[in-house]
Amino acid sequence: MTECNPIPSRSVGIGLRLPHVSEIAATRPELSFLEVHAENYMAETPALDRLLALRRDYPVSLHGVALSLGSAEELDRRHLSRFKALIERVEPMLVSEHLAWSAIGGAYLNDLLPLPYTETSLDLFCRHVEEAQEGLGRQLLIENPSSYLRYRHSPIPEVEFIAAVARRTGCGILCDVNNIYVSAWNFGFDPVAYLETLPIEVVGEIHLAGHHAVEDVDVLIDDHGSRVVQPVWELHAAALRRFGPVPTLIEWDANLPALGVLLDEAHHAEELAHAYRYVDAP
Amino acid sequence: MPKSWPMPTDMSMLLELQMRLRRAVLGGDTAEIAAAILGDGLDPSARVGIYRNHAFATLGDALRSTFPVVCRLVDKRFFAYAAHEYLREHPPHSRCLVEYGADFADFLARFTPCRQLPYLADIARFEWALNIAATVREESPLQAETLAAIPPGQAAYVALRLQPSLSYFASTWPIDAIWQANKEDEVPPVDITSGGTSLEIRRAGEAVSWRRLDPGTFEFRTALADGLVLAAAMAAATLKDPSFELTASLRQVFAEGLAVGFCISPKQETSR
Repeated sequence: MTECNPIPSRSVGIGLRLPHVSEIAATRPELSFLEVHAENYMAETPALDRLLALRRDYPVSLHGVALSLGSAEELDRRHLSRFKALIERVEPMLVSEHLAWSAIGGAYLNDLLPLPYTETSLDLFCRHVEEAQEGLGRQLLIENPSSYLRYRHSPIPEVEFIAAVARRTGCGILCDVNNIYVSAWNFGFDPVAYLETLPIEVVGEIHLAGHHAVEDVDVLIDDHGSRVVQPVWELHAAALRRFGPVPTLIEWDANLPALGVLLDEAHHAEELAHAYRYVDAP
Repeated sequence: MPKSWPMPTDMSMLLELQMRLRRAVLGGDTAEIAAAILGDGLDPSARVGIYRNHAFATLGDALRSTFPVVCRLVDKRFFAYAAHEYLREHPPHSRCLVEYGADFADFLARFTPCRQLPYLADIARFEWALNIAATVREESPLQAETLAAIPPGQAAYVALRLQPSLSYFASTWPIDAIWQANKEDEVPPVDITSGGTSLEIRRAGEAVSWRRLDPGTFEFRTALADGLVLAAAMAAATLKDPSFELTASLRQVFAEGLAVGFCISPKQETSR
């Protein structure tokens, strides 16, 4: 690991992926927290044992990807109870899920599919968030998705929809800065205006990740497979100015690099958090 | 086909919208969803295709990680094709992807393009058994002395509950040898005519292990795993191996920590 300047009150974590587990366990890099996809730890695998061992040294954030809170059917109670059992074992610092749906009619599609943003879907989504928070015994943070399609009838702007969910259910918001950038690019809206519409006090975490451009068409895809690009760092700086130093995660799930690359990204995020803390100090 | 999709003002319309998108993601035909989607400068089917590609790529990755030797035997491109066909017919029910693929072996057995590899489905069954063992924790074993309290007249009607990580699996092919060879960088020659194999697969601490069993032991343990009482399991084992010895075999079951519980079945169930 490279020498880093000492930075007080670290706030940055990384997504924990299996190929990095041994190295993290051996070298114990300075990180504020580790985040995992909850669904990867719901079976009794050796990976769960290793996560619980790391948990002794790091706070852990559980990021759910499959509760499918936007499905127009009942929540999967079995999945909810498995999630709760994992929460009881891990005692996470944060628990998050997505503004999306991924399962319907007994088929799980492993994709964060978009909702039309209507009064009906808002009622449904809020009901599911309330049920999930009650079932899990925890506040959820709900993440804004990256989107590649919009419905013809979707009259509520996404940022107003997610703000309404937070207002009505008491959930927090996981502000994925890269997702805002990707969706803003794909649909031509102003990412800074989106950030500035998000309610300040409910943003409990920020996600940063890489994305790629599709060849031949003007679409960006959030793939968590590369470094955070400069415009996303700039948007993140705007987020820090607005939300303060909330826990920030470097996500990297595909084309996994050496751990050092993630730590380097985390260090950069830490420096930014440090800089903005001083800029905004009263 | 409506020109445009009406506002989904109630739950049933939202459900219908989601079912249509599900069919488009899994099946690839976007005709019944296209009218509900804004093009934003792109064909709606191309937009659905972004989600479809992601779903198939990640679910295909999940299958490849559970069935690595199946993938190696048929090569990556063919595996992707087989996984694609499987996914369309059998999308996951569980939200935990390590639990996806329970019936992949049965699918491969029916999948005609795989016919020239008659042992492929059994390799998939073996890899699924390895996967079960890797995702289920061992329970604390039952001590043999626990059974001492059972009145002798009822001993024949005891059914043992075995470790949940255990699988018993027999094939007419030397599945373990084929599998092991295909884990090597350079696959050594395997005599696939060397005969079948009867395997026990289980979790051992953090690791997964397997071993070959003799025919009597295999039959006995398979019967126990199926919930048969001792008398019935012994009868099944003796049919395979007339020299089968119950006391020694039972002692071995306990010595290996395979039993985790028991119950005494009503007598009428022993006739199964």
